[in-house]
Amino acid sequence: MIKIKLTGALHAEMLQDLKRPHPFAAERVGFVTGRIGTLAGGQLILLTGYHAIPDHEYLKDHKVGARIGSEAITWAMQAAYHGRGKREGVFHIHLHGHRGQTGMSGTDSREIPPMISGFQSVGREAPHGIIILSLDHGSTWVWLPHNKEPVQAASVSVIGAPIGVFERSIK
Amino acid sequence: MSPDRYSRQSFLGADAEERIARCTVAVLGLGGGGSHVVQQLAHIGFQNYIIYDGDHVEESNLNRLVGARAVDALAETPKLHLAKMMIYGLQPRARIQAFACKWQENPEPLRESQIVIGCVDTYKGREELEIACRRYLMHYIDIGMDVHGKQPPVIGGQVILSSPGGVCMRCMGFLTDEKLAQEAARYGDVGGRPQVIWPNGVLASTAVGLAVELVSNWTHKDRSHAYLVYDGNAGTVQDSHTLRKLKVNCDHYSSMNVGDPVLVEL
Repeated sequence: MIKIKLTGALHAEMLQDLKRPHPFAAERVGFVTGRIGTLAGGQLILLTGYHAIPDHEYLKDHKVGARIGSEAITWAMQAAYHGRGKREGVFHIHLHGHRGQTGMSGTDSREIPPMISGFQSVGREAPHGIIILSLDHGSTWVWLPHNKEPVQAASVSVIGAPIGVFERSIK
Repeated sequence: MSPDRYSRQSFLGADAEERIARCTVAVLGLGGGGSHVVQQLAHIGFQNYIIYDGDHVEESNLNRLVGARAVDALAETPKLHLAKMMIYGLQPRARIQAFACKWQENPEPLRESQIVIGCVDTYKGREELEIACRRYLMHYIDIGMDVHGKQPPVIGGQVILSSPGGVCMRCMGFLTDEKLAQEAARYGDVGGRPQVIWPNGVLASTAVGLAVELVSNWTHKDRSHAYLVYDGNAGTVQDSHTLRKLKVNCDHYSSMNVGDPVLVEL
C-alpha cells in the first residue's frame, strides 16, 4: 500500500500554477519532488516541492494537451540525478479540470510512463511517478525503486486547512 | 446510519460528515486528556483511529478517566481497551489501530494519520512528537495541564496546534531549551502530578474543536497554528501573549526534512 502526503501550501501552489492558461498549450504540466517514508504496511511518499515549467519550454503540438521540450525534461532528469543521495524522486504532474476522482487518459498512459523510466535510470533508489489532480481530488501512480510497474496510491492527503483526503475508489 | 445522526452539526458544512469520516486521527496517551478526546471524536463521527497507550487503569485514575469504572481498576483494564469500547460503542464500523506501547516503540503506524493529538506529560515527549509530525506531515495538536502553587493552587494548561510548514512550538515560545533542561534535571523525581477531570475536559474539548476546524474549515480561518492558554482559576481560554511577537516563518524545521532519514555520503 502506498499513500501520498503533501502540505496545503504545496497543493495550493501546484493548483495555482496548473490552472493558469498557457499562450498556446491546452494545459500545463509540472514536476514535483518526493521522498519515501516507511509505513506499517507499505510506503508513504512525502512531496517536497513543485517546479513550474516556464511558458517558453512548451512545444506546439495540437495532438496533445501539452508537450514540453528538452529544457524541461533536462530539469527533471537533473532533479532525479541530484536527488539520488536524498532518495528524492520526481513526479510528473498535471491537472484534469473536473471534480472528483480522475485517471490517466489514453494519451497520459502512452506518453508519460516512458519519462518515468528515464527518471529511474538516473535515480534508481528513489520513488518516481505521475500525479494527476482534479479540482478537488487527486490520483498518483508510483514507481518504487527497482520496480518496472507502477502502483496506484491508495490515498493522497493534503495536510492543510482544510485537510483533504483523496481516497482511491475502485470503480 | 440514520440521517438524523449528525443533523445537529450540519453547520460544519455539507461535506463535513464525509471529510470527518475520511480523516485518520491519532491519539497518544489515553488517560485524563486522551479519554475525553476519543469520546468526543467518536461522537463527532471520526472513523479512523490510531491510538497508543501501554498503561492499565489504576485506582488513582478514577477521578478523571472518562469511561473507567471501579471494576476497571480492580481488573487492571488496559486504557487501550476502554478507548476501543468507547469508540466502538459510538462508531461500530470504526477502523482502530491500537498499540499497547509508547509510539516511539512502533512509530510506523502513526505516520498514516493526518492529525495527531498528543496527551503526553513531558516537554521531551512533546518535542519528539512534533519532530515526527513535521517529518511525516501531520498536524500536531498538543494538550497539557498542570497545577502548581498552594495559596491558592493555580490550574494552568495549553492547547497548541503545530502544522507542517507553519510555526512550531519553539517559535510559539512553548518549548525552550531551558524547559527541556530543567525537566531533564528532574528526571525520575516527577512524582504523582495533580490532575482533575474538568480542566482535562476543557483542554480536550478545545483540542477536538481545533481538529474539527482543520477537517471541515467551518470557521474559514485557514488556521496554521494556535497556542491557547487555559487559566483554570479564571475559567478562561485565550491566545498566548507570545503569539503577538511571532515570526511568520519557522527556523526550526525545514520543509525539505521529510520522510525517512537518509545517510548522505560526504
